Amino acid sequence: MDRLIAYTAERIFSDHVDRGVLDAAERGEFPHALWDVVREAGLHLVGSPGSGTDDGDLYELLKLAGRHAVPLPLAEVLIANSFLDEAGLTTIAVDGVAPWGREADRVVTVEGEMSVDFDAAEDANLAGESRDRVQLRDVRRVDVPGELYERMALSRAALMAGALDRVLGMAIDYATEREQFGRPIAKFQAVQHNLAILAGEVAAARCACDGAIMSLTSADFAVTVAAAKARVGEAAGVAAEIAHQVHGAMGFTHEHSLHHFSRRLWAWRDEYGRETHWQELLGRRVASGGADSLWEFLVGVG
Amino acid sequence: MFAGLLFEPTRLPGEAEALRAEVRDFVARELPPDYWPNSDFNEGHSPEFSRRVGELGWIGMTWPKRFGGGERTFFERYVVTEELLAAGAPVSAHWIADRQSGPLLLNYGTDDQCRRYLPQIARGECFFSIGMSEPNSGSDLASVRTRADRVSGGWIVNGTKIWTTDAHRNHYIITLVRTEPPSENRHAGLSQLLIDLRGEGVTVRPIKNLAGGEDFNEVVFEDCFVGDDDVVGEPGNGWTQVTSELGYERSGPERFLSAFRVLVEFVRAVGDEPAPGEAALIGRLASHLMTLRRMSISVAGMLQKGSSPVVESALVKSLGNDFEKLLGELVRLQAPTGQVGLEKCLRQTLLHSPSFTLRGGTREILRGVIARGLGLR
Repeated sequence: MDRLIAYTAERIFSDHVDRGVLDAAERGEFPHALWDVVREAGLHLVGSPGSGTDDGDLYELLKLAGRHAVPLPLAEVLIANSFLDEAGLTTIAVDGVAPWGREADRVVTVEGEMSVDFDAAEDANLAGESRDRVQLRDVRRVDVPGELYERMALSRAALMAGALDRVLGMAIDYATEREQFGRPIAKFQAVQHNLAILAGEVAAARCACDGAIMSLTSADFAVTVAAAKARVGEAAGVAAEIAHQVHGAMGFTHEHSLHHFSRRLWAWRDEYGRETHWQELLGRRVASGGADSLWEFLVGVG
Repeated sequence: MFAGLLFEPTRLPGEAEALRAEVRDFVARELPPDYWPNSDFNEGHSPEFSRRVGELGWIGMTWPKRFGGGERTFFERYVVTEELLAAGAPVSAHWIADRQSGPLLLNYGTDDQCRRYLPQIARGECFFSIGMSEPNSGSDLASVRTRADRVSGGWIVNGTKIWTTDAHRNHYIITLVRTEPPSENRHAGLSQLLIDLRGEGVTVRPIKNLAGGEDFNEVVFEDCFVGDDDVVGEPGNGWTQVTSELGYERSGPERFLSAFRVLVEFVRAVGDEPAPGEAALIGRLASHLMTLRRMSISVAGMLQKGSSPVVESALVKSLGNDFEKLLGELVRLQAPTGQVGLEKCLRQTLLHSPSFTLRGGTREILRGVIARGLGLR
């Protein structure tokens, strides 16, 4: 990813996404100030035609957004802007659910319907992120890219990869600071081993996600997304569990910010197909060539 | 910016991918039609097969040409090793020499040692074993008690190594010994010696494993003389050397492919239209395998750049070993009955599975290495 974009995004997210913004967003208040800064910096157009950036940059930006639990419908905005040339906030709906539908100027469905005239009933996922129920009127067809559902699934994998990295960092910091029995709990072998497992899952998730990002323009994109969403989703469950165990009761409080990330991991692994959906799809593709072609298939998709 | 370890996204270059077809043709040609593939790199010791692999230039691929190597990339080596493993070819004879003993000599050995041993290894005619563990020194490797005492022109070695794979049929063993008495710095005073397994003062006793195989051994040294020209690296530098050697030992695809045949046979058993639960299992295992390959290829990229990915290797091995064990267990629960091939594979894998998370560093040791990499110790 372009270093300047990464630097800009990191700075904006660090400066503008804090406890107050996250809690307000959960109460249903759209983070207007953050959205304005994001637009001023042009981050909402990363990956769109003429921006000088590509789909790869788009997903790298989503990893950063995941690292900061950015409470904007950034995945929807970025992916919509990558194929639609429209001003304002466009969100993407799947199964009648659209992040921040109430704030959107326009809704596009993964099936390729678009409307500027719609009702949005407030609803949220288990992380308290806006997932409004939308009913579209006056629908017209738009050309959406092939594999839009897969692109959306990869957005969740990228967000999770970012959040996983944050959760690992938080767990390491906490274990290093928290003292019991007269020493930091990071000095206990049992805790070290749990953190090592956590690090393994985080690294695996990032590699699975990067594999799909590398295949964005390849014929095997859908297969690599299936592997990525399945593997990252599995990592999310293990990682959230360990991170909470390391944080003890403190991590179970609303006051501590771990839940902003762990609840998102639990939510995102279910959005756009949970692990079994993608495992089954991938398994069918793998088996379709028969046992003796299995290896060739696996190395072929990279 | 990131807390964890960086595995740079890495794609195998075209010249490496191009080798796949060659390896597959070779394996198809070389192995008899009724050949039952090994699941594991440790099984199948065939000097004849290794010689043929060497003739094709697939041993010592990354080494300098003047030492019989091919001056090819770590990516090309990666493709050859994973193709041989996936085919279940009998690679055990040359595996250790190619993977770690050769690179160790290249990094720390003298020019003379490289000229003496590397060309033979690359031809597939010279096989090495690993002399690390002892009856009382397993995970605590620095506590080894095999000692070498200074004499005129060399060293006299006394002690016992154990779990030494293929010592009864390989040529040499690179042996970690204490050349100075233990001091406060437990990592000081260790050295590596290259010893002829058929030489005087060396006794090799096979140890039968629970699967009935006799691959590993006890190797006893009694007043065994080793000349100065067979000291690998500087005397006293053994710990640094052995750590870098373990980086090579841990990073390869053999650390996640030991149970691969089980997956192949499961797909054969359920057919090309699996039930939903069967498909999900195949997909789950495939998602792990695809990810482990990416990580291992990324490590090959680090080796290619000349870095020493000790922590990354430990992490890939640890994840890979857990996957190998998980694979067998999950397939077992969904295996249709009456499938002879699958049943045979499952048994073979289960019987060998205890070794997956022990050899080359136990799961516990690897987690310690990772924890150190995270800055926790």
